[in-house]
Amino acid sequence: MRFYFQQAFRAAILLTFVIFIVKLHYTGDILKLINPKYDLLSKIGAIIFLVLFIAQIQRVWSPKNESHGHNHDHNHDHNHDHGYSPINVKKLLSYSIIILPLFVGFAIPLTSLDASIAAKKGTMLTLTNNALNGVGREESLTDNNLEITEQPDIESDDNAEPLLEEQNENTDDSSADPYDNPEDPNLYSNTISQEEFKRVVEELKSSSSIVMTDELYSTYYEAINMDMGEFEGKEITLNGFVYKEEDFTEDQFVLGRFIITHCVADAGIIGFLTEVDDASSITEDTWMEAKGTIHIEDYKGAKLPVIKISEWKEIGEPKQTYLYPLSIKIL
Amino acid sequence: MNRRLRPVIVDFTGIVLFGIVIYIISFGNSLQKMFQLPSSIYNMSTIFLSILIEALPFVLIGVIIAGLIQIFVTEDHIKRWIPKNKFLAVTMSCVVGACFPACECGIVPIVRRLIGKGVPIYAGVGFLLTGPLINPIVIMSTFMAFGNDLRIAASRMIIGFVIALVIALIVSLLFKSNQLKHPIPPKTHTHQTSIQQPLTERIGSTLIHAVDEFFDMGKYLIIGCLFAAFIQTYVSAEALVGLGDGLAASTVVMMGLAYLLSLCSEADAFIAASFKNLFPTTAILGFLIYGPMMDLKNTFMLLSVFNSKFVFILISIVTGTVFSILMLIHGFY
Repeated sequence: MRFYFQQAFRAAILLTFVIFIVKLHYTGDILKLINPKYDLLSKIGAIIFLVLFIAQIQRVWSPKNESHGHNHDHNHDHNHDHGYSPINVKKLLSYSIIILPLFVGFAIPLTSLDASIAAKKGTMLTLTNNALNGVGREESLTDNNLEITEQPDIESDDNAEPLLEEQNENTDDSSADPYDNPEDPNLYSNTISQEEFKRVVEELKSSSSIVMTDELYSTYYEAINMDMGEFEGKEITLNGFVYKEEDFTEDQFVLGRFIITHCVADAGIIGFLTEVDDASSITEDTWMEAKGTIHIEDYKGAKLPVIKISEWKEIGEPKQTYLYPLSIKIL
Repeated sequence: MNRRLRPVIVDFTGIVLFGIVIYIISFGNSLQKMFQLPSSIYNMSTIFLSILIEALPFVLIGVIIAGLIQIFVTEDHIKRWIPKNKFLAVTMSCVVGACFPACECGIVPIVRRLIGKGVPIYAGVGFLLTGPLINPIVIMSTFMAFGNDLRIAASRMIIGFVIALVIALIVSLLFKSNQLKHPIPPKTHTHQTSIQQPLTERIGSTLIHAVDEFFDMGKYLIIGCLFAAFIQTYVSAEALVGLGDGLAASTVVMMGLAYLLSLCSEADAFIAASFKNLFPTTAILGFLIYGPMMDLKNTFMLLSVFNSKFVFILISIVTGTVFSILMLIHGFY
């Protein structure tokens, strides 16, 4: 029997990966990296690492005469290293690369994406793009179906109908203070049926006050951009972080959120251009909860929904900083 | 004596390693508070880990499948399954890839193992290109990201499939040998031994192969993730997008963006959708089709398998083919 240091080292690396992934799940830090929908998949990853570790420790002690372990299949192509040849510079380098993520993972704390990343993602470009959605759609609707394009006009008279408004206020009360929950209960199953989805959008259109909850943020956001005219003048409550661009005016900033499909690398930004008097005193990356009304304004030639903020308060960075797209069950 | 003692020693080793790892980790945790780095480093390390944590399960599954192929599939099987006719072989590989749900990182170790077992290079490439591009999860996510519009999702699959077919055919004309980085010894011996081994032993060697494969491929994956994270932290997409105006330029820009961002094919549709009104559909398709076939992270993984000359020629073929076919069919959009 002989002790193979390199094999032991490899086993230790595999084990550290297991512990790293388990730690991410245990501390909840995994939410800073991936969409919880893929939670199970990363747990499976940890289990595979564990199985590989158990297989690997068998190799740490091998009989002296058989340098390739017991009953090892000699048929395969010898195009990779088995960890038996002596350590040289090249191997040292490749081991340090493998260890790098573990070092980074344990020694450098995870952060949430901030305004500097939003700048790299082309925030205003995205917001403009999303607002253009509605334009394209309205045009196509005029071609196909005149009845629907008339709807915005009817809805914009909303405020003149006290009865309807009263109703809406009632529904508002029941959903007051949506930010009480630290984590939205639907976090792990962000899925609704198609009917439910339609109902949500319909309800949104008929209400005079909109509350952007984490769960429905992206749905509401899309609906508002799709049909800006219909939402003009409505009250909106939302939270997000402050992001500014150089060519904004003194009173402008974006109140945005990152939305994550799979992992943080594919984060996109959604949110609204907002206007408030003392905007210049608010620094980037401030998290705030704001209340305001939706207006339609020109931004560099494109019509955008802009929120005129009437009141706002600073909130700390929430536990769940990211949004996840709502999946609609098709079947 | 030795036989009875061995499991005890192995268990003991496992426990000792566990202790050592925990000790080192606790040291790392205290390190966290010792230094303060610029905030962009924190962003970059977070993005780096997120790409890696996202990719690891897929790579591990790929590595296990590669291990299974190594132990359970013989060269004779491959010879029987792959048609002699080049065109048939390419078509078959693309169809198999389309049916096989994989992502671009997980499929690399599998392709390497298959080619090592005697699958011709062009069939391997067909499989490599369609595997991540065409699968149910990708169809679903594309469908949803584009406002439940089936047109983009369907175009992505169909045009992507045709492009993969063309690329694999070009490869079949240009390359005869397997192009692996480390050539395989010409004739294998003692093949029968692995067949005669008891199942538990074969599973054991599958896992051992998987470990070796992981250590071999892992470093390339990690370098790829690191580069992708660097790009995301320091390169502005907006500046890149500003370069593209007009059909050809915007298609090139979107393909370049897809290459640099190195997104998983299951998650790139949302990003593509955020450009859909700024760029023509052809450019968006360029992003959606080119991304799963080639990207920065993937290039590093391919470099671990094939010789670098082949990787660069393959990248040129893929880039050229995707671009020209998209330009040709632009009339339909």
